[in-house]
Amino acid sequence: MSEQKSNGSDRVVLSVDNLRIHYATPQGDVIAVSDISFNLYEGETLGLVGESGCGKSTTAYGILQLVQPPGYIVHGSIEVDGTEVLNLEEEELRKFRWTGLSLIPQGAMNSLNPTMRVKDQIIDVIESHEGKQKDREALRERIFELFQNVGLPNRIYNMYPHELSGGMKQRVCIAMGVALHPTVVIADEATSALDVVVQRIVAQTLVNVKDEIGVSLIVIGHDMGLLAQIVDRIAVMYAGKMVEIAPVENVYANPLHPYTQLLIDSIPSIKERKPLKITEGITHDPRNPPSGCIFRLRCPFAWEHCALEEPPPFIVDDKHEVACHLYDAQFEERRTNALATLANP
Amino acid sequence: MGSFSLNYLLRRLLVFFLTIWVAATLMFIIPRLAPGDPIGAMIARMAQFEGFVEGADLIIESWRKRFGLDDPIHVQYLNYLGNTLRLDLGYSMGNFPATVTELVGRALPWTIGLIGISTIIFFTVGNLCGALLAWYRTPKLLKLMIPISMSFTSVPPALLSLLLVYIFGFKLPLFPIVGSYGRGMVPELSPEFLGSVLYHGFLPAMSIVLATFGFWALGMRGMMVTIEGEDYMILAQAKGLKPFYVLYRYMIRNAILPQMTALAVSIGTLINGSVLVEIMFTYNGMGSLIYSGINTLDFGLIQGTALILIVSSALATLIIDLTYPLIDPRISLEGR
Amino acid sequence: MADSSSSSGGPPGKDLDSRYAGLAPVAGGTKKAGALNRFDNPWLNWKFLAGASIIGLIFFFVFLGNLFWDTELALAASSPLNMPPVGFTNWRGQEGIPEHPLGTENSGRDMLALIIVGTPRTIGVGVIAASIGMCVGIILGFLSGFVGGWVDDVIRLATDVTITIPSLLVLVVIQSVLPSISLVTMALLISMFAWATPTRYIRAQVLSMRESGYVQMARLSGVPTRDIMYREIMPNLLPYLAASYIGNMTGAILAAVGLELLGLGPQRIPSLGVSIFFSIEAAALLRNMWWWWGIPTVILAVVFIALLLINLGLDEIANPRLRKAN
Repeated sequence: MSEQKSNGSDRVVLSVDNLRIHYATPQGDVIAVSDISFNLYEGETLGLVGESGCGKSTTAYGILQLVQPPGYIVHGSIEVDGTEVLNLEEEELRKFRWTGLSLIPQGAMNSLNPTMRVKDQIIDVIESHEGKQKDREALRERIFELFQNVGLPNRIYNMYPHELSGGMKQRVCIAMGVALHPTVVIADEATSALDVVVQRIVAQTLVNVKDEIGVSLIVIGHDMGLLAQIVDRIAVMYAGKMVEIAPVENVYANPLHPYTQLLIDSIPSIKERKPLKITEGITHDPRNPPSGCIFRLRCPFAWEHCALEEPPPFIVDDKHEVACHLYDAQFEERRTNALATLANP
Repeated sequence: MGSFSLNYLLRRLLVFFLTIWVAATLMFIIPRLAPGDPIGAMIARMAQFEGFVEGADLIIESWRKRFGLDDPIHVQYLNYLGNTLRLDLGYSMGNFPATVTELVGRALPWTIGLIGISTIIFFTVGNLCGALLAWYRTPKLLKLMIPISMSFTSVPPALLSLLLVYIFGFKLPLFPIVGSYGRGMVPELSPEFLGSVLYHGFLPAMSIVLATFGFWALGMRGMMVTIEGEDYMILAQAKGLKPFYVLYRYMIRNAILPQMTALAVSIGTLINGSVLVEIMFTYNGMGSLIYSGINTLDFGLIQGTALILIVSSALATLIIDLTYPLIDPRISLEGR
Repeated sequence: MADSSSSSGGPPGKDLDSRYAGLAPVAGGTKKAGALNRFDNPWLNWKFLAGASIIGLIFFFVFLGNLFWDTELALAASSPLNMPPVGFTNWRGQEGIPEHPLGTENSGRDMLALIIVGTPRTIGVGVIAASIGMCVGIILGFLSGFVGGWVDDVIRLATDVTITIPSLLVLVVIQSVLPSISLVTMALLISMFAWATPTRYIRAQVLSMRESGYVQMARLSGVPTRDIMYREIMPNLLPYLAASYIGNMTGAILAAVGLELLGLGPQRIPSLGVSIFFSIEAAALLRNMWWWWGIPTVILAVVFIALLLINLGLDEIANPRLRKAN
């Protein structure tokens, strides 16, 4: 198993520590993100997966300081290149945005201002952070270069968003996202709204641009198949918790967490037709999560201990972390049994 | 998107001409629905009212010709439409030998001026207040003041005129309350005259503005709230754009579009209101003209003034509708 | 390392729910929750309630007035002329008398009686015209939105033309050839213009609801169009219809007051607008008889503001986003 990441750097560019985000509702707070921690390394592409409502997008918006009311960050720390994002004053935060962290949004269809030309929406981001650009010709060239990076024709320079196709709009968003060469780019389900063919092309564009410009990337998605092709590491989220994080090969070849195993199993395969094992949805009330392990109500291997204590992340082998009691050294016997049932159902 | 272009233009033009035709036809039919010989009855009522009618024969003659009361009804109708198209609105019975067209020609600019300036003020102030009400960075004090300033919203402008006349004309005589310029002045392009016009127009315009701008503020606030939930607003925030830039380029710019559409729809109501305001201030516009027509039972004057005001309304609506594609890139006039 | 758990060793995953049913769940944080509770019932909207209470109060006083005050005093020559309200003096130095607490006007009508009689008449015109306009608007709006095609085209054209025409002018022309009209005739005439705005509004709402998910679902599962209209669209449309009705009523009263201010209203039993018209004709402003024009003006203003409050409240009830923005 290769532990070599494609870009190999060990420098941490983004460090999320103990981040917790709630949504206030009349019936009490919904826990959207529950004390998650992870690092993003320079030049790395990290995939964040999980079913709808697991908090992956909220995590992204939390990192970007874009959680909309009634959501709010309860506690945590988000460091980008040594800057603590949560401590920034309003104006500092504004200047930090897009240069430190940028976003490729979920709904590219509606993410562009309908009354502004494409060029103006890219220019406004450049001029907001780098001041008025006197050399208009150079500015134009710079935008054309961005277009070229994402495979957009120059003719859309003067167009309005409604004149572009969905895939083109998404590319405009990618071009915009990397315009200032930010430290970290977060792509939030950037391809979900597109049809399958365009999805692959846009995903490929994303990877190419990332390599060309040399940013670190977080890709959020639910399509495990698509993610496998573009990310270096995968973090799996369930009900606001990060349950497993590991290099992509490890996760696919050797998923450790019972939830990850279900997810991997649910990837459709053309070689064999198998019954779907995973059941839909988070079963507990998100306002009152069960004690101990968050997944125990759906877990095929749960036992009493899972209700007593929340599993800490166990480092199983190099860089493969999993939050499940089965990987506690003291329950080795149980793990062996469990894996045996998995092998011979 | 091409479906908008030519279709849009044609539809607007159709509404414009249809409005004028319907209005003209109504003016033709209404007097004929009245019991008895309408022209005879009118002359009789007028004669009774004034004691005698100067040039009564001429008027009766012109009205008989105009209405062609001896011709079959469709001939009458076609003649009438022809006359109207040539802007021949007949004589004013109360102001003989002046024609209705002459009187209207003198009054119309004042009304257009009053409504035009009021509209610019209430549309600007209203939308600005609405935008500030919805904006998260607006100072708390301002957010408290704006709704207070909107207290007169939905009170009819004419009633507001009464209050303003009473307060600023009688109790605290700061402003003139009669006429549209100083007594004895001759209309000319001098600073004194223009000053006098603004001075006289202040209270009438204020009546319209105070009664109206709150509606626009409320509408704008609603639109801003809707726009705040759009995806592009989240991206604008993520992009770290300057807050004031986001306010005008992302929020107001998009929220103003439905407000423009609403303005086109509200022209009719606006004219209703300003007609009454003019009467309260005896402003020399179309409202006062129609009021003098009512008082002297001068049906020709009432009819002509009403018709021209309806045409003005249709024209103003058409102009707004045709300007709209200039500010909304999603609708374009040139076919694509 | 020994497995210290006392597990029975049976296959995991069986009846998990029963096994852990007794364990208390961890309580979630409840920050800010209290502040959100007031959104629970949208009809508890202060604007709506305030507006409705004002209208309710006005009707309550009119009701009391009809019981305890002589409404015959609203007719001309029933009282002394030009008396000021109690506690004030008029330009002749007369003091107000308790027999006419709000004063009288120059043809001997008692202002209090005039208000008791005139207020419901003014609101009544609005109710009649708005109701007719609303019924026509609902029918045409649904036809336009549901049938589409040329029916939609014709209705839209008619609506646009009617909205463009300043209704007051046509009404003035009509009433200048009709010698005298009753209040009901005036309401009927006003209703000729009161259908256009509701039609346009309802059409837009029907169109947007027709495209919405739940109506599409009903349609796909073969629910007849009529049932979709009554069961799916109508209930969701109710707050919009109510808001539209109130807006329509405001417009109708506005038109009625406008006609009355021009002296074209029914004049024997005066309504509020006619009373203001009389006061202007008699130069009440110059004679400082503020009670004559001022009292009806203030009552009308209060009615209009109350209707606006109801309308704004209904808007917020219909549109949760607007509600949250407060």
